[in-house]
Amino acid sequence: MPDLASMGGLNTSLLIGTQALEAAQGALTATSNNIANSNTPGYTREIPQFAESEQSQSGNEIIGGGVSLTGLQSVRDELLNLQIQSQTSLQSSVDTQSSSLQQIQTYFSSTGTDIASALSAFSSDLTQLSASPSSSAVQQEVLSSGQNLANAFNNTASGLTSAQSSADTQVTQTVSQINSLTTQIAQLNGQISQLTADGQSGGTVQDQRDELVQQLSQLTGISVMQGSDGETITTGNGTPLVMGDSSYSLQTTTGSDGMQHVLDSNGNDITSSIQGGQLGGAIQIRDQVIPGYLAQLNTLASQFAASFNAAQAEGFDSNGNAGQNFFSVPATGAAAGMSVAISDPSLIAISSDGSAGSNGNVANLSASLTSALPSGQTVSQAYANLVDQVGTAASDASTQSTAIGQNLLQLTNQQSSVSGVSIDEETTNLIRFQTAYEAAARIVSTIQQLNTDTINMIS
Amino acid sequence: MRVNQNLVPDVLADLQQTQTALNTALQEVSTGKSVNVPSDNPAASASMVQNTIETKDVDQYTQNVSSVLSTVQSADSALSSVVSSLTTAVTLGTEGANGTTNASDQQEVATQVQGILTSVVSEANTSLQGSYLFGGTASTEVPYTADSTSASGYTYNGNNGVNSVTVGDDLTVQSNIPGSQIFSNSSNDVLGSLSSLVTALQGGNSADIETATNAVNSALSYVSQQRVIYANAETQLNSQENYLQQETVSLTSQATSLVGIDTATAATDLAQAQTANSAALAAAAKVLPTTLLDYLVPPQS
Repeated sequence: MPDLASMGGLNTSLLIGTQALEAAQGALTATSNNIANSNTPGYTREIPQFAESEQSQSGNEIIGGGVSLTGLQSVRDELLNLQIQSQTSLQSSVDTQSSSLQQIQTYFSSTGTDIASALSAFSSDLTQLSASPSSSAVQQEVLSSGQNLANAFNNTASGLTSAQSSADTQVTQTVSQINSLTTQIAQLNGQISQLTADGQSGGTVQDQRDELVQQLSQLTGISVMQGSDGETITTGNGTPLVMGDSSYSLQTTTGSDGMQHVLDSNGNDITSSIQGGQLGGAIQIRDQVIPGYLAQLNTLASQFAASFNAAQAEGFDSNGNAGQNFFSVPATGAAAGMSVAISDPSLIAISSDGSAGSNGNVANLSASLTSALPSGQTVSQAYANLVDQVGTAASDASTQSTAIGQNLLQLTNQQSSVSGVSIDEETTNLIRFQTAYEAAARIVSTIQQLNTDTINMIS
Repeated sequence: MRVNQNLVPDVLADLQQTQTALNTALQEVSTGKSVNVPSDNPAASASMVQNTIETKDVDQYTQNVSSVLSTVQSADSALSSVVSSLTTAVTLGTEGANGTTNASDQQEVATQVQGILTSVVSEANTSLQGSYLFGGTASTEVPYTADSTSASGYTYNGNNGVNSVTVGDDLTVQSNIPGSQIFSNSSNDVLGSLSSLVTALQGGNSADIETATNAVNSALSYVSQQRVIYANAETQLNSQENYLQQETVSLTSQATSLVGIDTATAATDLAQAQTANSAALAAAAKVLPTTLLDYLVPPQS
């Protein structure tokens, strides 16, 4: 005869029923939390973990111990997160450059006030001077189209400089955003290790941290390592940003070039090694791309001005004097500072023999537009080359952005398929857990009925 | 494998893509240009720099051609009256050298030749829009003014300069012949020979008159030769004008192929982009709101 004391009595069933009620209730809570957070950025769905309670054995009979809810598990794929972070850095770097290049390239578009239009007007006015060398109206036209050409150089240079200074402002802003994010991440790291030490799951805190790390990867390229005391985050080249619960803030300072330089927490200049993210993109545009264009534009402006002034010197103005400089360019920032040096149209060196009606030097003036400058290219070829470079850079950046965007979409979808909340699935679970809860409740009421029946037997 | 339930990013990406295509198509149709910023087609934008400059230059060359043409034609017509004046002078000189002409008739002829000299000088002083055609490059000064100390009675104020006007990338046309070359050339001096004829007629010596007439005759054939320069310039200018017209056409067609649109293609693209965009919107509207909840019957109370 089996041992009565150890046999599962009604109370055991009641206990199992109650546990089932609790487990179903916990599962319902998890489900409703999932549904509630279905649109929360960075939320990772949680699935309830059920486990059989310890069974008991009485004689040959093994009696189940019911169910217990051992916890909620966040479903995340760390590898995917890392991939998403690196692609995000890449994309926001390219996007930053792309938007700056979009702004820059409008100065190189055919708008009527661009350098190409100004060059063409200047060239055709010079040709007109060949037919009407003594017409003061035509001379005035040449002078004003020369001024327009100088203005076009000024505008293009200032367009480039203003794009450069907005990238510079972006550097300062981004650095302060990075510092605010790393501080928060360090705090969350501390909370997570505390929770882990207490044996709790850090699910939601971890979600928050992942979301912040994701945001950080938009600002700059980072590398993330899981350590014993939480995540260690460094910039791409190893400058620490977060280690455990401490954060290391970056600083900015004005460098000798007048631009904002980024310093690590020890004061070392790490500007040139920063890559990826808004910060990397802004630095790339500010320190590499725009200075490259500006240098070419300055060379073009100074070489063209020198060549035109040399042509002026070969001839005589309408007063019979040797031609003086037409353009004046400063030694540095030639394009930005280019101006027309004369204000009197009769000072244009049209004549080759000193008489007012001669057009002999116009050919020399025109030739400075069509013959090769010291750079080996004519002024229009050099400018066309610059247009091609700017256009190609802008078009490459936007193509790249689209490609990375596709890649990122793919990764996000993949992450979403792992971690995202599916309303359909949660609804199904809701029905499942509802049924389980109802059934468990039925067990409790059945046991209650049986208990009543048993008590009634006694009385 | 678990299926991604969140369609929003995909739907947004699709909508954005079709919207971008629609914007591009719309911009192409409304601006008539397929390249609006350099990134639309960097190589074409670079080529357009040269095209813009050349187009403007060709316009100006065409204007220069017509401006030089009118100068050359005026100069040629002035020389044409000089030629007929000189022909008359030669006839008068021959008449004066004839032994039958009496002294008073010779004086009469001398006066007529003096008149011819004056009219030739006035032709030599022809100006067009304020610039003198035969003063060399000193086109602002009257080329010939009366000067009693000079043998011909006139002095040349111009120079020997010649202007060549640009009418093509590598083509210039001589637009003037200086007076010193046509009217007061030392070997064929038009003004000098006419002046000598007047003096000879006044002197009444038949042999002198004949010599002077011969000198005028040789000046006449010299001027006729010089007219060839203008005639050649005219021919050159006319053929250049035709060339520039073709050049304008080819530059325009180059510009169209670089940055222009084919209207039919652009309109078709626009229609396609519109359809794609509407389809994407319709699909989004159908797909997004659907969940299992739409199909569950609410619990009966």
